[in-house]
Amino acid sequence: MNAGLDLASIPERIQSEVQRAIQRSIKGVEYFATSGPSLGLTPKDVLSTRGTMNLYHYRPMTDEIYRVPILIVMATTNRGYILDMVPGQSFIEFLLKRGYDVYMLDWTAPKPEEKRLGMEDYVLDFIPHCIRRVQQDSGEQDVSVIGYCFGGVLSLLYGSIFSDGPMKNLVLFTTPIDFREMKLFQNFSDRRYFDVDRLVDSVGNVPPEMILSSFEMLRPASRGISQVQLWDNIWNDEYVKSFRMFDRWATDTLPLAGEYFRAITKDLMWDNKLFNDTMSVGGHKAQLADIKVPVLHAVAEHDHIVPYEAARHLVTKIGSTDKEEIMLKGGHVSLVAGANAVKRLWPKLDSWLAGRST
Amino acid sequence: MADKSTDPAALWQSMLGEMEKGFNAFASQAMASPEFSKVMNQAGSAGAGAQKQFGDMMEKYLLGLNLPSRAQMVDIAGRLQSIEAQLGEIRTMLQQSRAGSPGADSASEPQRPPRTRRPPSPEGTPT
Repeated sequence: MNAGLDLASIPERIQSEVQRAIQRSIKGVEYFATSGPSLGLTPKDVLSTRGTMNLYHYRPMTDEIYRVPILIVMATTNRGYILDMVPGQSFIEFLLKRGYDVYMLDWTAPKPEEKRLGMEDYVLDFIPHCIRRVQQDSGEQDVSVIGYCFGGVLSLLYGSIFSDGPMKNLVLFTTPIDFREMKLFQNFSDRRYFDVDRLVDSVGNVPPEMILSSFEMLRPASRGISQVQLWDNIWNDEYVKSFRMFDRWATDTLPLAGEYFRAITKDLMWDNKLFNDTMSVGGHKAQLADIKVPVLHAVAEHDHIVPYEAARHLVTKIGSTDKEEIMLKGGHVSLVAGANAVKRLWPKLDSWLAGRST
Repeated sequence: MADKSTDPAALWQSMLGEMEKGFNAFASQAMASPEFSKVMNQAGSAGAGAQKQFGDMMEKYLLGLNLPSRAQMVDIAGRLQSIEAQLGEIRTMLQQSRAGSPGADSASEPQRPPRTRRPPSPEGTPT
């Protein structure tokens, strides 16, 4: 007799599967009849808006806060509410409850006339403008910067050009510097076949569908399988809630300003200038060795968008003496948001940043 | 408790997971070839060109009907957004100047907490 086959449990399992099948039908109807949970609702004030750029200040949640405010720089391809999902799963709420004063530089879709925004607009204008507004609003000179994904690349460029301050600490999540190692993106943008000039000159801003499909092509089966898994688990309210949050965010991709996309393709994807120490923005040299502030870089073990090989030299090339890389379980998104992040990254970040925020 | 090796639901989940991994690995290998890049970019550039031409054509058509084009609607939305943003900035500046003035009504503007927090002690309480 097979020890694993428990005959007595078969009726119970059949009953459970029948119940789930009924629940699937009921909840399946509910799924299409209702919208997902509301996201990004932590109370905040808009401090500044200039076209695609938005600066938010989140209202403190403790009676006493750390001296040094935090500016989060979001990736330009996606919306910032990934870091502010729902209460209990919001990175912003976590930081506020731990006593930090939090600001976020978030992006909206660039308008057609913003197609001329280039790397220098992001690095030499938007980030410095937000830093100044944070200083003005908080009354503090020092500012800690947290950059996620390409927001991390922008923060690195800013930090290496404005190495005299006022950035006090730099935290990076899944930030690539060696773009040769982003193998599939490299192949998609192979300079022999990909005419970036023609694309940008004809469409202006790069459409979000193109950005989304290039992300989805990294794991082409995952979208279909996720729909099957959703149907399997549609009786489970928690699963459905989490699925809807992440699915909505993942498909809510932003277009990229044309000139900015051209610079990313040519300077980073083709010439790998940040890694080769030949990067410059608006005539200012951007060398990682010039960054001297404390740096924490968190990478994900199973990151399919920014593979570890593309991020692993970051900490070595930074000029700081106080620098640390941590590798945590999870993927590109689950590193920073969701149940895994609550247990892994967030407490680690808090323990690293608290002592450096006084 | 059912053994996972005989539980059909667990077996199905595991099969899905393996199928996903296998297909993704196979597709990644195929997409890493220069031929794939060539075909993908030829199709992409043709698509982008067609999209642009179609957009231009529609704009002319709407102009003929004396209707606003999408670009014009986006422009109006942008102007409204810019007015809203400027109003927001004026509101923030007013709040800041009111908070700084001697007769400021402290009840209307939430007080910022003091920036005196210290990291928790090893026992877990803030010092």
